[in-house]
Amino acid sequence: MRLELRNIEKSFGEKRVLSGVSLTAEGGKAFGLLGRNGAGKTTSIRILMNVFPADSGEVLFDGAPIDYKRVRFGYLPEERGLYPKKKIIDQLVYFAELKGMSRSAAVKSVDYWLSRLGMAEYRGKRLDTLSKGNQQKIQLITALAHDPQIIILDEPFSGLDPVNAMLLKDVVKEEIAKGKIVLFSSHQMNYIEEFCDSIAILNGGGVALAGELHDIKRNYPRNRLVVRSESAEAIAARLGEACAPFEDGGLIVTLPSPEEKGRVMRELTENYDIDEIKVFEPSLNDIFVEYAGGGM
Amino acid sequence: MKQFGKILKFELKNYMSNKVFVGVTLFLVIAIAVVMFFPRVMGAFEGDDVGGDGADDVRSSVMLVYSPDTETGEAVKTAFLAAFPGHDVRLCESEEALRGSVEAGESECGFAFESLVSYTYYVGNLSMYDTNTAVADSVLTDMYRTVAMVGGGISAEQAAEIMSVTVSHSTQSLGKDQMQNFFYTYIMIFALYMVILLYGQMVATNVATEKSSRAMEVLITSADPVSMMFGKVIASCLAGLIQLVAVFGSALLCFNLNSSYWGEDGIMASIFDMPVDLFLYMLVFFILGFFIYAFMFGAVGSTASKLEDINTSVMPITLLFVIAFVVVMMSMSTGDVDSILMKVCSYIPFTSPMAMFTRIAMSTVSPVEIAISVGVLGVSVIFVGVFAAKIYRVGVLLYGTKPRLGDILKAIRKA
Repeated sequence: MRLELRNIEKSFGEKRVLSGVSLTAEGGKAFGLLGRNGAGKTTSIRILMNVFPADSGEVLFDGAPIDYKRVRFGYLPEERGLYPKKKIIDQLVYFAELKGMSRSAAVKSVDYWLSRLGMAEYRGKRLDTLSKGNQQKIQLITALAHDPQIIILDEPFSGLDPVNAMLLKDVVKEEIAKGKIVLFSSHQMNYIEEFCDSIAILNGGGVALAGELHDIKRNYPRNRLVVRSESAEAIAARLGEACAPFEDGGLIVTLPSPEEKGRVMRELTENYDIDEIKVFEPSLNDIFVEYAGGGM
Repeated sequence: MKQFGKILKFELKNYMSNKVFVGVTLFLVIAIAVVMFFPRVMGAFEGDDVGGDGADDVRSSVMLVYSPDTETGEAVKTAFLAAFPGHDVRLCESEEALRGSVEAGESECGFAFESLVSYTYYVGNLSMYDTNTAVADSVLTDMYRTVAMVGGGISAEQAAEIMSVTVSHSTQSLGKDQMQNFFYTYIMIFALYMVILLYGQMVATNVATEKSSRAMEVLITSADPVSMMFGKVIASCLAGLIQLVAVFGSALLCFNLNSSYWGEDGIMASIFDMPVDLFLYMLVFFILGFFIYAFMFGAVGSTASKLEDINTSVMPITLLFVIAFVVVMMSMSTGDVDSILMKVCSYIPFTSPMAMFTRIAMSTVSPVEIAISVGVLGVSVIFVGVFAAKIYRVGVLLYGTKPRLGDILKAIRKA
């Protein structure tokens, strides 16, 4: 399975929201859609789900224009909310039926997911009697119960305690393992880094950076070293301007070229008591700040 | 289509499981049953006290008559006893005694005569509905004329015959009998007005609640907006119809169970004697009228960001509807349901459900006119429905400040 957005353009009135957005997400992999608030993530998702059409550009599924009658989407919106006064089972079955399931299949699937997420005891309760985290788990079921091919999760981890976050991680991994396309949108970079093979960073309505996360990191110039040592001060004095303080009392050493890193590493390990020395790889957070930081 | 069915079922179930909806319907049904059974229950209580024929003999309040001329006094007393079956008519010795008795409350009223054609009427509090003087005048005029005729040489029998002559007449209405149709038309128009306004508001609130609770985020990505809009509106129309059928059905049933106790009450009989064709017209105009307003209410509901905004947002629609109602009610009360204003109103889709129905019920309208009116209304319903769904699709995703009409129209053109 392969989902592509090609050259999507969208304006609301005079305001241009998306300009030439192109993305590709593969089945069996998670895709991270990143960007600051107002970068165009939700608009891209809504166009993808046919809530409103793009001004130009196309959405392709396995290379052909997507047929919304046949492709099933599961969506966990950032703005959570269902029917607060309705019984949980009734509304979950209703949503699954709206997505094309028969009533009996919907009931079966909803019951499976309720027990999978440890919510079976709340089956007949009203939604507003549940805590926020539990309501979020119920909402997650609306995104999963109808066995969608494409799952879109917008800030799925916000508001979950660590135990529930772990449960959600397991569920997401299961879905990815089933070969589904999972699209994440989040500001919690650690989760994106944990799940997503490829990412796209939107900035000012365009794609600022896209590709495999591994490649992106590898493509960063490998001319920086992270050093942790008891003799940090002496090292800093010796290397002078090339050296800067790093997280947790470490140092970051910037070399004139990547080729010199072998020599410098050797030199430092021979002359000082070194706890750790490695080539610096930027975290997703660093990449995000670099690419999404300034407006385009 | 499948989605539409699911939405319809879900929304209808919402109404049916709503405690307020069920409670109000039950209350109305019980209230109507109480009214309908009232004469029977009252009859059961009164049955022993009032022994059929004896009813005429009950003369509870005292009416005094004084005349300086005893002969006139006696004649008037006899005549008044016949004319005022509820009163015990007694002669009094003097005008002062009569006045004192009325003042003290011992007698209800009194007539102090100067001559047969001139008297003073004494009464404590003069009721708005006191017809005693009118009855007395008529009785006295007859007496005077009879006396005059007898004086002129006509025998007493002949005089009585002349005085008791009655004119017989019959009316053949070739069109509609407005008197008979007035009450059920009035009730139907009022029911139409109440149901459309109440359920229209419910549709608007329903949409705005989904929007403010953000359930809309999932709904709009799960179902097509046209299905959503039509599902909601048709569900509320069915709920309204179910309520009307429950209320009027139970009223009809209870009336038929008790019809003998209602006796000659013409109003009640005329209400339940509605012709079938008129009932069908009522159904057509009710459904189409309901749709056109409910769609507008739904569309407006989708543009409100907060539930509090609903009341001000729906005001223009409510106003339009109230104007239509007032025009129709005014024409009904004047009896001129075929005025130019009513004719115009019966073709405008927003006013025709009430205006055309009233004209059909209370006047004679050609089938062509009805067909044109229903046709215009039907086409408008589809147009308004699709347009409302478009507004809905755009409106539900606009949060924050209330969007202006221009912005919505622009967004619809693009969508």
